[in-house]
Amino acid sequence: MGLFFITRLNFFPVAAASGFMLLLPADALAIQLHLTSEGIITHQMGHIFFLVSMVALIFTLSGKGLDKQKGWRLIQYSAFFFILWNLDAVLGHFLDNQIQVIKLENISFSRMRMLVHNDSSILYWVYYILKLDHLLSVPAMLLFFMGLSVLVKEQQTISAKKESH
Amino acid sequence: MTGSFLPILLTDVFGSFAMMILALLCLYKAKILRDLDTDNAVFLYLMWISTGFAVFAISRSFGHILKQFLILTGNPDAWHAISPYSGGVNTVSFMLVGLITLFFNQTWKINEKILSGRKSLEDAHIKLKDLNQTLEHQVIERTERLAGSEYKARRIFEHSLDTILVTDEAFNVSEINQAGVTLTGYERKDMLEKKMGIRDFLEKPLEWDRIQSLLEVHEHIVNEETDFLRPDRSMVRVLITGGVDYGAFGCGKSFHFIIKDINDKKQMEQQIAQADKLAALGELSAGVAHEINNPLGIILGYTQLLLKEQSGFEEDLKTIEKHVKNCRDVVSDLLSFSRKGSTEMSRLDVTKVINDVIKFLSNHTDFRNVGIILNLSQKEALMVNGNEQELAQVLINLMINACHAVEKKGRIEISTEKSNDNRIFIEVKDNGTGIRKKHFSRIFDPFFTTKPVGQGTGLGLSVGYGIIRRHGGEITARNRKEKGAAFTISLPAALPADCTQTRAD
Repeated sequence: MGLFFITRLNFFPVAAASGFMLLLPADALAIQLHLTSEGIITHQMGHIFFLVSMVALIFTLSGKGLDKQKGWRLIQYSAFFFILWNLDAVLGHFLDNQIQVIKLENISFSRMRMLVHNDSSILYWVYYILKLDHLLSVPAMLLFFMGLSVLVKEQQTISAKKESH
Repeated sequence: MTGSFLPILLTDVFGSFAMMILALLCLYKAKILRDLDTDNAVFLYLMWISTGFAVFAISRSFGHILKQFLILTGNPDAWHAISPYSGGVNTVSFMLVGLITLFFNQTWKINEKILSGRKSLEDAHIKLKDLNQTLEHQVIERTERLAGSEYKARRIFEHSLDTILVTDEAFNVSEINQAGVTLTGYERKDMLEKKMGIRDFLEKPLEWDRIQSLLEVHEHIVNEETDFLRPDRSMVRVLITGGVDYGAFGCGKSFHFIIKDINDKKQMEQQIAQADKLAALGELSAGVAHEINNPLGIILGYTQLLLKEQSGFEEDLKTIEKHVKNCRDVVSDLLSFSRKGSTEMSRLDVTKVINDVIKFLSNHTDFRNVGIILNLSQKEALMVNGNEQELAQVLINLMINACHAVEKKGRIEISTEKSNDNRIFIEVKDNGTGIRKKHFSRIFDPFFTTKPVGQGTGLGLSVGYGIIRRHGGEITARNRKEKGAAFTISLPAALPADCTQTRAD
């Protein structure tokens, strides 16, 4: 409701104060105290939410029988890859940010040092693979693009038929 | 533990670029879809989700590239300062994508409703179009039928041989066909401009009051007989049938009349009645004449025998003889009127007969001051089969009557004509007093005369009628439009001589 009382005259002072508070979070006069781990939890919840929505999309598409159409089937595949990518991201963030069992440091342009809890080589390789998450997100995006391309082609054919009629 | 960072770095950097490019391409494709069907809610949904992906991919990829760049260039602190914002934007963007994705089901349902609505609308449009076309066809068809009907009605109106007359509420002429114009003798323009009423056509306008009251009571009249008086003062006997019309919407009262000219029919009926009457009279006359003729012969014989002896009653006997002879002439005329037997017939030239009659009458004192005009057909000889003496007698009678009608100082015209149906017409017209209407039905009756007592026997026209009938012809009388009367004799033309010869052979 308060926003409705922002007029042209007081808009700039209000905007400036809001920006100042946003850019200096340490001095924010929040009512509740937010801990530093809150960020990663929110981020993880975001990934899980994204994952769940992709699962929902897959089932919705199947439920409506759209998986029989090539375009939507490709989008369904894209959703599947996004699920994998979200799992990858959740696990990666869990290991480095959340329980902090792994820490990666750059030694040089081509070399890195990975500080792994108990020097577990399995954890090392698991984390190493998890860091290659683009191998999941790029195919996911590509499949989504391909799905859209097929839908465009189909719609163009339908439109051409309509016009010819 | 150390290891190669290069695979991670390359995957991260190239993957980020690829993500950005693919996300933008997705946005482009979604835009094309949206443009192809702007009413499709699913395409709008794909547009939103592609936008979400684009924001997500760009923010994330930019963050990743920046991160690698800052760390590898030895600025990890800078990255630590930026990373909360990058992470925050990244979190929000993929949560946004997730959120949008969850609305797919609802969007799909909305789209189905839109498509269903559109389909119904299209079906309704097709139905409406069909209905419209059907309506158009019906309108065209009915317009054609209406035009055809109007054309028929107009043709019936225009070409009807009976008068069709439409009047307004006050019985003033609104429309009249050509037959009506001919019947009434008035110009259509005059009738409309002068707002002439049907009453104006009647010979006796007061008679219209009676007809009008019938119309008002019954809303129609059937075969009301009356006389129309034309502008040239001639009369026409007519039958009027009519009724009221309240118009298509019941608010335009008018009257429609059909008027039949029964003049000819009436005249024919009168002629038939006259012929019947004269035939009956002829039968009677023949009987009476036969019964009287014998006693008259005896009386005349005995009178003449007595005259041969000296009795002292010679003068009385001569008077008896004179009157008996008169009676015998009358009886002879009566027999002539009623004679049915054939007389000697031969081919006669009508022109010659007329000329002989005129020559004969020109010496008569009564015709000295009478102008005789001959208007005889010169095209061909007008030949009839007949008895010359009898035909001459008829013409003489007509001429004498005409002479009396013009009071011995007028003009008599004799004209002849041959019609296309092989009939020869001889007309004797005078400019005398004409025939009184009440006498028309009696002029051919034996003993009917309008002359003073002693000046005529009243047998001239009846004898003439009998002779003409025996010749297969007709004789009619009428009053001329101008002054005077006209008698017309119609006789069948004789066949050409060679034809007659052939028949005789």
